[in-house]
Amino acid sequence: MKEEEVKELVMELSFAVGISGSEESATAAASRHLERYVTRVWRDRLGNLIAFKEGDKPGEEPFSLALVAHIDEIGAMVTKIEEGGALRFTGVGGIDPRILPGQPVEVHGRTLLKGVVGAKAPHLLSEKERREASKFEDLFIDIGLTKEQAEKQVRIGDLVSFDAPPLAMTAGKNIAGKSLDDRAGVAALVICAAELAAARHRANIYFVASVQEEVGLRGATTAAYGLVPDLAVAIDVTHGEAPGLTPPDVFELGGGPAIAVGPNFHPALTARLEELARDNRFSIQREADTGVPGTDAWVIQVSREGIPAALLSIPLRYMHTTVEMLSLDDLINTGRLLAAFARSLDRPFVEGLACF
Amino acid sequence: MKKFNEVAINKMETLIKELVEAYGPSGEEAAVRELIEEKIKDSVDRTFTDNLGNLFAIREGAAPLLMFSAHMDEIGVIVTHIDDNGFLRIAPIGGVAPHLLVGQRLSFKNGVTGTVYHEKIKALKELDWPKLYLDIGAAGAAAAREHIRIGDMACLHQPFVNLGGRYMAKAMDDRIGCAVLVEAARRLPGSLPQGVCFVFSVQEEVGLRGATTAAYRLEPDYGFAVDVTLVGDTPEAPLMAVSLGQGPAIKVKDRSVLCHPRVRELMIETAEKHKIPYQLEVLERGGTDAGAIHLSREGVPSGAISIPCRYVHSPSEMVDAGDVAHAVELIEKIIMVSWPLPDSGSGA
Ligand SMILES: [Zn+2]
Repeated sequence: MKEEEVKELVMELSFAVGISGSEESATAAASRHLERYVTRVWRDRLGNLIAFKEGDKPGEEPFSLALVAHIDEIGAMVTKIEEGGALRFTGVGGIDPRILPGQPVEVHGRTLLKGVVGAKAPHLLSEKERREASKFEDLFIDIGLTKEQAEKQVRIGDLVSFDAPPLAMTAGKNIAGKSLDDRAGVAALVICAAELAAARHRANIYFVASVQEEVGLRGATTAAYGLVPDLAVAIDVTHGEAPGLTPPDVFELGGGPAIAVGPNFHPALTARLEELARDNRFSIQREADTGVPGTDAWVIQVSREGIPAALLSIPLRYMHTTVEMLSLDDLINTGRLLAAFARSLDRPFVEGLACF
Repeated sequence: MKKFNEVAINKMETLIKELVEAYGPSGEEAAVRELIEEKIKDSVDRTFTDNLGNLFAIREGAAPLLMFSAHMDEIGVIVTHIDDNGFLRIAPIGGVAPHLLVGQRLSFKNGVTGTVYHEKIKALKELDWPKLYLDIGAAGAAAAREHIRIGDMACLHQPFVNLGGRYMAKAMDDRIGCAVLVEAARRLPGSLPQGVCFVFSVQEEVGLRGATTAAYRLEPDYGFAVDVTLVGDTPEAPLMAVSLGQGPAIKVKDRSVLCHPRVRELMIETAEKHKIPYQLEVLERGGTDAGAIHLSREGVPSGAISIPCRYVHSPSEMVDAGDVAHAVELIEKIIMVSWPLPDSGSGA
């Protein structure tokens, strides 16, 4: 895919809405792109989107590779309609109340309703309140309706998404937007699928846009169980460098995807990814992961009898805000490295994964 | 003379009373299981138990298969040490707040009863498990050891009280769910649109363990937890739009599950069609069996029906009789809906 196409793709995916548990419109957007390059596309019982591409396997027993990126995004959910019509809400996934005041939102009620997150004006705060970061209890959503009007439009449990169109920076190759965690990963799946469209590969490949990652790696749990891949690579995001943050906690934007190393990851997969990056001159970074259950790779590794897993992370600044920022170069490199990895696989390599 | 909140109890209330007063901390659900099996066996085609102690009660039928799960276990304590003077040291089983136990009576499976008190403390915030002990009235260690061993479990000792329209007891979480399922099973007609399995699960309070293995074994097409939920209608309660007496709650979300949108909508449609009052529940703490069921194998679209309950995990959990009756009715109607066969998952 050309850089301009990748830019359009990632911006479209960023703008799509798919809060954990209700990912349909985001999976539909991903599906429109993936289905051009694969044999078959379907959704499983939890809503995971699975795009399957058959491998060329002259006289060989088939094996399968799953490439998994989560499609869900963080958001909010209405918990109560107050007397004056203000909506109280809670987070779905790890949403940070500090970034919410002043945020334009959309309430997914009986119709789509524009709103803003309101909070007390700074003039009206007490000394103590001014020193403290905002908490959910202090915040509300204003949709400009009275309680009676609001009750006709909004129910408890309705979802709230951020109304935040993505931005391409004027200079350079950075894109900012909501939900790039992990629509960037989903975009990398599409780039990989496009690269493989005319290529030969022996592996059967499942491109999986997993649901409910942000609430506990739930979609990947059932997808891994259902698909039983022989090996898997999760694609997610990691923290990008920014003022006040220093390595090893953060990674350079433009420095390539971070390959995770640690107990959660099969050493042969990690080594193969590094080798391919070197041979193809893709820049990569190395991330030491001590075993925090942070990505889909965590649950895939222990599915059924165990599935060798690896993780590629795209550096991303300002995670879990509406201006998450990444470099297009990193995204393209990630998709190409995945394609090179898929092409490199053969039966002996897969069989060797169980021999330590 | 009859006091205003002492009311004679009917048949369903007798069932609730028997269930809540039974002994059954997580892992020790036998008495509850025997009671439920006795009450439900004539309403179903067969019953069986599994390796963990879950009780299954099946109404055979065509696909799809609906699984309803209410947990039998309750919170309690486990004896960790018996000191030289015969006082027992204890640790929690499930989510028990130490300050709610002070002065409470606890009972063991063998009927031994005692009370919890605390060592000298300077401030209430020091009240933690190491400061608590259980006194069973034993004159010394030898006397205590005659009846109690390390690892024995005790649960709250509190009678069922009908307050006149509201019920108060220990272990309402989740014996009220068990009672609702037993009653719903009793009311079902001879022929059903699909198969149903009522599961009375073990070890929910220690991590949804019974429901995990029960769902794996059953491979249901849809899962429903029936449990209690918190309310926001008491003085200065945390923000929550669920009240006692406004009907059973159809769950949207808790810490363990985001209920499947189509399952939730079909439940709402059913309630509205039959004019059964209901509330929508967003629970910011806690989980239910649906959390385990929906992640079983390749995934099971799941929802939950909750009975609003005040003072959950206290000695005096309180529910509303109307909410209980409407929960029975809602479940009965949900079972009579023809549920669609879910997507095969294979993509064919
Ligand atoms: Zn419960």
